[in-house]
Amino acid sequence: MAHRGFGLARVGLLQRLSTFLTMSKKTIMEFSRYPVAFVATFAQVFLIILMFLFAAFAFTTPGSELAQGRQIAGVMVYGLIIQLFLSFTLWEVGFSVREEQIRGTLESLYMSPASRFGSLISRIFAILLWTSVMAVFAVLLVSLLVNGLPTANFLLAMVVLLFTIFGLMGLGLLMAAITIRLKESAQFLVSFLQFFFIIFAAMFFPFGVLPDVMVDYVSRYLPVAYSVDAFRSLLLGLPAGFPELLPLTQEILIIVLFGILAPPVSYLLYKEVERRARIQGTLGEY
Amino acid sequence: MPEIIIRTEKLSKNFVSKDRKGFRSKKKKVEALKDVDLEIEEGEIFGLLGPNGAGKTTLIKCLTTLLIPTSGRAWVNGFDILTQDNLVRASLGTMLMGERGLYWKLTGRENLDYFGALYHVPKKVRRRRIEELKELLELEEFLDRSVETYSSGQKMILAFAKALINEAPILILDEPTVTMDVPTARKLRRIVMDLNERGHTILYTTHLMQEAEELCDRVAIIDHGEIIAHGTPDALKASLVTEETITLEGVIPQKVTEDIRSITGVKAATVTSEEDGRTSVSIVTEDSRLLLPKIIEKVVGNGATVDFIKPHEVTLEDVFIAKTGRALNVDTRVVAEREGGPSGR
Amino acid sequence: MAVEKLGLTRMSRRSNLDIVWTVFKARILIISRYRGSLFLETLIPLVFAALPILIGLSVAGGDAAASANFNRQVGTPDYRLYMLLGAVTFVVVSIMLWIVGFWIRREMEMGTLEAMYLAPAKRLYLVSGIATYAFLRSLIAFAIALGVGSLVFGVNPFQGEIALATAFLFVGLIPLWGLAFLFGAFILKVKEANSVVNSAQWVVSFFMGVFFPIAFFPPFLQWVALSFPPTWMNNGVRAALQDLAFFFGTWYFDLAVLFVFAAVVPFLGYSFFLRTEHHMKKNEGVGQY
Repeated sequence: MAHRGFGLARVGLLQRLSTFLTMSKKTIMEFSRYPVAFVATFAQVFLIILMFLFAAFAFTTPGSELAQGRQIAGVMVYGLIIQLFLSFTLWEVGFSVREEQIRGTLESLYMSPASRFGSLISRIFAILLWTSVMAVFAVLLVSLLVNGLPTANFLLAMVVLLFTIFGLMGLGLLMAAITIRLKESAQFLVSFLQFFFIIFAAMFFPFGVLPDVMVDYVSRYLPVAYSVDAFRSLLLGLPAGFPELLPLTQEILIIVLFGILAPPVSYLLYKEVERRARIQGTLGEY
Repeated sequence: MPEIIIRTEKLSKNFVSKDRKGFRSKKKKVEALKDVDLEIEEGEIFGLLGPNGAGKTTLIKCLTTLLIPTSGRAWVNGFDILTQDNLVRASLGTMLMGERGLYWKLTGRENLDYFGALYHVPKKVRRRRIEELKELLELEEFLDRSVETYSSGQKMILAFAKALINEAPILILDEPTVTMDVPTARKLRRIVMDLNERGHTILYTTHLMQEAEELCDRVAIIDHGEIIAHGTPDALKASLVTEETITLEGVIPQKVTEDIRSITGVKAATVTSEEDGRTSVSIVTEDSRLLLPKIIEKVVGNGATVDFIKPHEVTLEDVFIAKTGRALNVDTRVVAEREGGPSGR
Repeated sequence: MAVEKLGLTRMSRRSNLDIVWTVFKARILIISRYRGSLFLETLIPLVFAALPILIGLSVAGGDAAASANFNRQVGTPDYRLYMLLGAVTFVVVSIMLWIVGFWIRREMEMGTLEAMYLAPAKRLYLVSGIATYAFLRSLIAFAIALGVGSLVFGVNPFQGEIALATAFLFVGLIPLWGLAFLFGAFILKVKEANSVVNSAQWVVSFFMGVFFPIAFFPPFLQWVALSFPPTWMNNGVRAALQDLAFFFGTWYFDLAVLFVFAAVVPFLGYSFFLRTEHHMKKNEGVGQY
């Protein structure tokens, strides 16, 4: 059947790119209109770090080496970086989908022919940018507090982080899908998952202090756990006993696979959930 | 002589709005209400008419004590809105625009009971009242389901029931029929008239002129925060009787409308509807017999085609057009946005 | 004429109490329809207590060393109970702030805040209904978290001066109510509740010394922490149960301070809330978000 064009809509590649940029800009602009939130998130990272350092201080052996202090600080802050990326993808992606659902803007977004994937990716892109700024801030802050952090194997660690981020983007998409389905309850799931990962992916302490049962039956099945382990082991200069879960090459292999597989698999799931929501007409419901 | 039950004296409300362009923003003052003087008599249905963003909702929010006016005074049921706000609220049953204001996780009955308590309605009376409302508004079907499962029409009806829970002497209904289907809206209007017969005073806002003509004893037309005309619908229409209105239908370009306006003796010419390339233009003239030939000349000379010409009875819409030079239903949102007024939700 | 001057409205002391009860009941009904949050409230304090315990283990390098080091730095070897008590007290504080803060935000979004403002109910009674609900919920969360936490971490919370600890907890709840309204007023204004609530939780847990004694702070921060009522509640509960030091050396001085907070803070919070509300009505109104 012949059609009469798309009105003013242009569906070429260039236009797609520009749609993507517009959407990223929108997300960043929205951040900028919540100045209190902006400051609050920074303050939050600052306080979390200080709080854990104070807590750690309560357990220090008098006269213990500064080097040991640095290693502990490193374990915490490098874990925190993964945690930041994780929580922002889970929260922001899941939550902003929900927010748009409540305000009714989700439906209008869907009514525009902009690619769904583009809309999600642009959202995630903006969030990643923002999280990276926070991560750098956290590292600078802690190095200031403990007089410099170890940053060995920097490039390889960045590769690990990159693949981890790809994988987390997959999780974010998954979260968006779950949000569409679970609506209100999704928030609780997100909070739960955050706590779950903090403990089981040993984000603020070495795996060694977790009971073996937890590590063997849960942690070893979480790709994020390998990310935490490999990322901080690399940056700390692979001290004795690190990485704790598997030899480094195997951990990296798992992370790379996670980064490559999680996004497409999650995307397919997301498409499916979205399709069902459209069949049932639950997209704009909240 | 009926008593005045709602009165405003030079009521004004200014907002400071932020204009945003990208990351920059600048503040600007918007006058949502300008020196509004209004008197509503006990026992009447009073219509407040105006396009979106005209200030209807702002006026209602001031009267219901949700907003504090910038200057001026107002009394509801004999109580001052600034100093006796609790008594003002107790005198009112209010339905604001849209179906917001209900708890989604509660059932209709639980919502009504909750708001009944907030209006200090004793428990027993509340139960009886909910049963009455169930009958009156035919709520049986969904009263005990949680609100999240309601259709938007059902939510509106429940919001209406909520406004009736305290059987207040004054009802304020802000565009109550806006998302209702035709039969439901008709039912609501019938109930409003019943309530009025039982002695309730009703303040009713709408942008639908026919609705106002059908329902209201008196109306006020509000535009850009000012009351530009008020009186009974008949009196308002009578004020235009020296003027006559002609409607043209056909394919009429915008420029032609402008040309018609330039003819001496034509007071206003406005596009009232545009559908499938067919335009309907409403022309207010001093003497239609004298001017019709000139109008036709202008129209045909400019390449427009006219299928239908009818002189028609004056409506409230014509009153609005004569006063503002604009139609009510076309364009108004654009006007509201351009003016930066807080458009009604 | 059939219609009375104020319709069916009968303002009386009884109808005011009815408002408190109805608001309370509606909250209970609503939360009972969101089951996930109840589960999470039990989980949060456990994770919160587990974190410093695990960090402590990794820093000290084993349970015995952790115990010994903690005893030297803090004054009790039972670091698990110390952390658990901090975490459950924190949950009480967080629920109070969260419920009020989030309540206001949520009602704004749903449009029910405006609907509530249309009613002739006095704020005080609406707010009392919410506060009663928050009291009850935080106490239930406290009890459950303490019970489950004791099992998980293998500690015995029934030691020391239990009655005194209870007194600190209950008196400490009253100023929290006032803080909740300061917080609520803030949310009414900034409308960025999610991030503010999230961050506020960390600020609160930091200053009330959930994981460590505030003696670790430099003097200035200690003063900040001491001006914050939950710090006294937290320290009081721990000092009573774990035989740690009170800020003023004796329990009655500390409890007296908490009483003063209890007498002053609710009024401050509530009047600030009313002022913010008035300010908003003069500007954009309470329904905008």
